[in-house]
Amino acid sequence: MQTVIEIRGLTKTYGTVKALDGLTLSIPRGGVYGILGPNGAGKSTLFRTLLGLIRPTAGEATVMGGRIGDPAATRRMGSMIETPRFPPFMTARQVLVWLGYAHGGVASSDIEAWLKRMGLAEAADRRVRGFSVGMLQRLGVAAALMTKPDLVILDEPTSGMDPPGIQEMRALIRSLADDDGVTVILASHQLQEVQRVCDRVAIFNKGKVITEGRVSDLTASGERLRLSATPLAKAMGVLGDKATLDGDALIAALTRAETPAAIRALVEAGVDIEEARWIGADLEDVFMSETGWTGVQGAPDKGTDHAG
Amino acid sequence: MLVDALKSEAYRVSRNRTTLFFSILLTPLLFVFGGLAYQIMTKAKGDALAAKANLPATLGNQPVNLAEAFGFAAGNGANGVLLVFMLLAAAAVYAGDYRWETWRLISARNGRPWLILGKIGVMKVLAMIAMLAMLIAAFIFFVTQALVAGRPMSFDLSDFDLVQFLLTWLLSYIRIVQYGLIALLAAVVSRSLLATLFAPWALGFAQTILGGPLLPILGWEPSDWAAQLLLPGLAYDTLKAALARGPMPLPEGVVMKAVVSLVLWCVAPVAASIAWFQRQDLSKE
Repeated sequence: MQTVIEIRGLTKTYGTVKALDGLTLSIPRGGVYGILGPNGAGKSTLFRTLLGLIRPTAGEATVMGGRIGDPAATRRMGSMIETPRFPPFMTARQVLVWLGYAHGGVASSDIEAWLKRMGLAEAADRRVRGFSVGMLQRLGVAAALMTKPDLVILDEPTSGMDPPGIQEMRALIRSLADDDGVTVILASHQLQEVQRVCDRVAIFNKGKVITEGRVSDLTASGERLRLSATPLAKAMGVLGDKATLDGDALIAALTRAETPAAIRALVEAGVDIEEARWIGADLEDVFMSETGWTGVQGAPDKGTDHAG
Repeated sequence: MLVDALKSEAYRVSRNRTTLFFSILLTPLLFVFGGLAYQIMTKAKGDALAAKANLPATLGNQPVNLAEAFGFAAGNGANGVLLVFMLLAAAAVYAGDYRWETWRLISARNGRPWLILGKIGVMKVLAMIAMLAMLIAAFIFFVTQALVAGRPMSFDLSDFDLVQFLLTWLLSYIRIVQYGLIALLAAVVSRSLLATLFAPWALGFAQTILGGPLLPILGWEPSDWAAQLLLPGLAYDTLKAALARGPMPLPEGVVMKAVVSLVLWCVAPVAASIAWFQRQDLSKE
């Protein structure tokens, strides 16, 4: 497997807080790779380290075959980390020209094409100080992509966008990977978005990777049996703590091997089974089970790195 | 890479009208309008006195030599007002955008030393443009002086010494750039707009105290290595006096010490800034 990023034992500490804790990860070339984790899991710290903005305390990483901060490798990357901020006195077009110069020049036709593609053509000559968060995100994505990078890092690219904008962004990300052969690394709290767009994901917690794999594999491993049965109370009694109510059905956390015996037990107990079908776990289930996130106030024992 | 950084920074500054106005235009405008007001007041006062004393109105009617504007502009290129406003520009270029958000945008596109050198290059260009604007202002000042006083104008280059003019111009230019480089170091170390503005001022103030009353207390002569190296302002004054060719001879070797001091005060802040910046975490502020 060809990789675009190889990380070995990467550690970043801020005082006593470990934002990255011996992180080891290989990100394959091609496709869309999702980085998930609760706030403070170390996602943004990882991105900043890969971009050479901050120096790791220990460990090493290669990006596009070069060491962190290697200008030749860095220039093949595009990035947008969190909501971008631009000099407020510049227009959208001027921002792209400015960043294009810093990069070694970007053709004005490419700048115009990206302004149009990101829906900013009409706002191109407006100063960015009046832009909404969504417009800044669009401009940030245009700035990340206009140099035709081989690797793109996008941190919460749909933050602040309206639903049509989110759909467009999803389509853009997929198209970058599928049509242009760009490797996209995406961090997002929108788990449905990640599930729809990403090929592989890594789930972070406390500066470490706790799960990594193909989205289809991760969700398949959490598949469960949905049963429509009568009477439900009796069925619940037979399955015990493996069953939970889901409206007028129940969800049984059974493996495929356990299922025939469970069905037999239900039938023998006089339960009528009207429907039984497998349902896949979604990424949210995987995320919650892996990070111990309660869905109320964040992970009960999650890491607290200040860098996000 | 450096060319890209220069182009990028020049483009960004060129869109920042506020910085351009304060760094390039404000000092010459203040000079022209302040000078004009002073001339009008002086003329009115002079005319009243002349009328009272019954003196002829043609008194002091010798021509205003516009060529003297060259020497005036070069000698006063590093005036205090211009230095203050150039520091505002330095703060905008070095510290105003010294935000994690900006650096994450550009440092992923170019090497850090190039980006710093690009900013320095743009500040140098701004300093040169500001001095040229002061030269134009000096001409305007001389012309208005002639018009207000009703004196004839001439352009007599017979006393003009090109080498002296160029060296004085260069000296003033280096002085402005030097202040900007101290601002750069303050910006990189502190990442604070206020510190960038005030560190060079504080240094200038400390030099004034050291160079004035404290120098004899410390037992230093102005021509000593320590005094020249510690006080770039003193080195600047020494070289300015040498170029003016005053009647008093300067102590032997002091010019060389002053040159070394100026060069050191230009090179050291750049080297320190780049070294510091290379190792700096550009974390969120």
